[in-house]
Amino acid sequence: MLKYILRRIVTMIPTLLVISMLVFVIIQLPPGDYLESHIAELQSQGESVDEQKIQFLREEYGLDKPVVQQYLYWVAGMLQGDFGYSFEYDLPVTEVVGDRLFLTIIISIATILFTWMIAFPIGIYSATHQYSWGDYGLSMLGFLGLATPNFLLALIMLYLANVYFGTSIGGLMDPEYIGAPWSFDKLLSILEHLWIPVVVIGTSGTAGMIRRLRANLLDELQKQYVTTGRAKGLPPGRLLFKYPLRVALNFFVADVGNLLPAVISGAEIVAVVMSLPTTGPILLSSLQSQDMYLAGSFLMFLALLTVVGVLVSDIALALLDPRIRLGGAASK
Amino acid sequence: MKRLLTRLLLMLTLAPVASSQAMDWLRETPMLQQRVDAGELPAIQERIPQDVRVVNLLGDQVPGEQGGQMRLLMGKQKDIRQLVIYGYARLVGYTPDLELKADILKSYEVVDNRVFTLHLRKGHKWSDGHPFTSEDFRYYWEDIATNPELSKGGPSRHLVIDGQMPNVEYPDAYTVRYSWPSPNPYFLTALAGPAPLYIYKPAHYLRQFHARYQSAEVLDEMMKKYAKRNWMSVHFNRDRPYKATNPDLPTLQPWMNTTYPPSDRFIFERNPYYHRIDQNGRQLPYIDSVAINIASSKLVPAKTGADESDLQGRYLRMDNYTFLKTGAKRSNYDVRLWKAAKGAHLALFPNLNTSDPVYRELLHDVRFRRALSLAIHRYEINQVVYFKLVQESNNTVLTESPLYKPEYKNDGIEFDLEHANRLLDELGLTRRDDRGVRLMVDGRPLEILVQTAGESTEQTDVLELIHDSWMQAGIKLYTIPSTREVFRNRIFSGDAIMSIWSGLENGIPTADYSPMDLAPTSKYQYQWPKWGSYYESSGKSGEAPELPAVRELVALNDQWTHAGTHQERVDIWHRMLDINREQMFTIGIVNHVPHPVVVNNYLQNVPVTGFYDIIPGAYFGIYKPDTFWFEAARR
Repeated sequence: MLKYILRRIVTMIPTLLVISMLVFVIIQLPPGDYLESHIAELQSQGESVDEQKIQFLREEYGLDKPVVQQYLYWVAGMLQGDFGYSFEYDLPVTEVVGDRLFLTIIISIATILFTWMIAFPIGIYSATHQYSWGDYGLSMLGFLGLATPNFLLALIMLYLANVYFGTSIGGLMDPEYIGAPWSFDKLLSILEHLWIPVVVIGTSGTAGMIRRLRANLLDELQKQYVTTGRAKGLPPGRLLFKYPLRVALNFFVADVGNLLPAVISGAEIVAVVMSLPTTGPILLSSLQSQDMYLAGSFLMFLALLTVVGVLVSDIALALLDPRIRLGGAASK
Repeated sequence: MKRLLTRLLLMLTLAPVASSQAMDWLRETPMLQQRVDAGELPAIQERIPQDVRVVNLLGDQVPGEQGGQMRLLMGKQKDIRQLVIYGYARLVGYTPDLELKADILKSYEVVDNRVFTLHLRKGHKWSDGHPFTSEDFRYYWEDIATNPELSKGGPSRHLVIDGQMPNVEYPDAYTVRYSWPSPNPYFLTALAGPAPLYIYKPAHYLRQFHARYQSAEVLDEMMKKYAKRNWMSVHFNRDRPYKATNPDLPTLQPWMNTTYPPSDRFIFERNPYYHRIDQNGRQLPYIDSVAINIASSKLVPAKTGADESDLQGRYLRMDNYTFLKTGAKRSNYDVRLWKAAKGAHLALFPNLNTSDPVYRELLHDVRFRRALSLAIHRYEINQVVYFKLVQESNNTVLTESPLYKPEYKNDGIEFDLEHANRLLDELGLTRRDDRGVRLMVDGRPLEILVQTAGESTEQTDVLELIHDSWMQAGIKLYTIPSTREVFRNRIFSGDAIMSIWSGLENGIPTADYSPMDLAPTSKYQYQWPKWGSYYESSGKSGEAPELPAVRELVALNDQWTHAGTHQERVDIWHRMLDINREQMFTIGIVNHVPHPVVVNNYLQNVPVTGFYDIIPGAYFGIYKPDTFWFEAARR
């Protein structure tokens, strides 16, 4: 087992290296650089541009250097824990992202819990009551959530919440609490705003989870040991939770790999539409303005979490399910 | 006339009061009273300059009381610079009538447009209480502008005339003199700009970051602290008054930033040492603080409609007008329609530097450009897209400009297909294909690809209408949307034949404003980017203009720079406007486009109408937002 983990960790290094190259190249692909899009933006608003200042910034940001050199500079910095400098914010990347990480995690965890709370009972119900009215009805509800465009739902709910509850539009708290120290009122204000993004993001995820749980559980329910258990007189609830449900949870653990990066990045589109103070809008705007170190470091961070998440879920699966083998080499 | 008389009388009665030492008519600001009582802050008499600027609020503008917080919405953290624009405290600044007037300066004298003597206000202080003197000008000139490490390319281009640097003198603590060998007509306009030329810097604060005044060890530590590679970067980063990102940087603006970025909410507080007071002895600004909330720019109209902003123009567009009006019924605000000050809200830019020789030859012919203009049904565009709220016009000065003449606006904008077709026939474009599209000399159909930056559907809507009327003149129009960067690069490289963008930045210029936008002087002029680049780089890049009319424009622009008298400048302006009218280098479509401005009902002194544009009005800037005030209910 230990050997397996070691081997996985070693293979992570070239994977991440390739990802870093891809990320950097893709960010550099659009024509121009940060300063050019900055100039374009200023000009489109009629503001004057001081060419000398731009020249100063180009040297300062190292944008006059060859791309390879910029890449090496960035990678070398990351190895030392320096994620580079955000041109747009004129601050180190860690300061820009760090501030928003906490709220992003809160939203993500709340959303995940919400999804589970809705999807789990429905999934179990529709598996045990296959092809019943309840199964169809609840599945349809889930699919409706999946099919409704998130941004549309977000806008409608923002509007309704504003008109009927007086909630301020967008954001995660009333403006006067932004930057204020933590207090009970601030928490209330967050809760008042939090439910909209949670419901919007959550509804889109429930359908997938309902269907996967239903399918996995149906597979198990047909099996011999379930029949045996029932024949031996186990109460239906105890039978369900003790045996087939546990086996059906494999997919759930395998999901951890995707969960980890999702917790950090938040749902970008909804966050942009609702102007949430999470990391998603930062990532999007940094890609648009070619703020390359901010975008690059953030994407690398997500990549790292994905790779680690996959490893964690693999290990957890191996521990949970003895049927899973640790790849060809390790088992010999 | 009566108003003028009362104004004169008031000025006469108030002037001696202001200049005398009898300062007991001054009233302490309620918000600062506590700090004054506690001895943390000097009393108002010591805070304001002895030569304080008294702002007389007359007519529609009434003096108010201090207090309250104004909420604004911005789309990005970078946008907090808007408050430096709105604040509009400048050495010299424009009045709403677009006259230049001393503001931070007590007065200034100009000799031959060459020698500028600036007089500071005695006792004027930075927002941290340190005196503002000629030392701050010296620091800028000697330690920043002409420091080879901090300014590699030398001082700003507005300060170097014909390659000559000015001679800068500091006769005493309150006098600064800039003198050039030849006239510098850009100097005062640059000082009055929305993004002004800062020729003064808080020397007492910035010295700690400067290698000339600070030891290498301390600078090393600072480089580490601010994650910079050298001391110049640290200095540059700490000294960005226009960005307002450094709350420690002393300022002279009415409000100063108190929030360290990054944040989604920035609080700007009143500058206790601000140099303007009202006629009742109350220090401006009236409003104690400004809260800028950052929200996605697409949400700004919705948030404004939900009464989350007290003064909003940014990120609102004409299409939001009906929504905002509906919202006004349940929220406490008023929607006003201001006007854009651009020469044309939308204009077509034939790329005279396009790399396709056949198209280039056509576009170089004035008859072709005129035919294109005559084949645009501007009235229809006005009706369909703008609800008949705009003016059909060439890309030229607006009716409000003293330089306006009706022919500049009206020549060649009528919809006259017959005339257009006649001109095109004259050009030899008589053969047509089976679609009815004319064929060019090399047999290709006359298809014009118009580049748009793809930012609004409004541009594509207008182009769709032009497409229909051009088709009747035998010209096929294709709209090519792209992103802003690609759009610009296509124009610069000559790939683009034509583009659509807004026209002259300043549609209400006076003759003392530079006419450079009418001549090829910058590569960002989409009708002649290569000629502009040639001028900008003094011949190092780009191409020399070949058309005689364009060469004349370049010469006229240079003449304007060296013109001695106001009348000469007026004549040059008219000549340049007339050449542009005759030659139609850009094809203006409409101007005077209304811009919705949302004003909270408690907020007083905001004009009912005005020009909403950065140039020359600094958006709200020339209307003095420091004199806006809240009714008691919001204080």
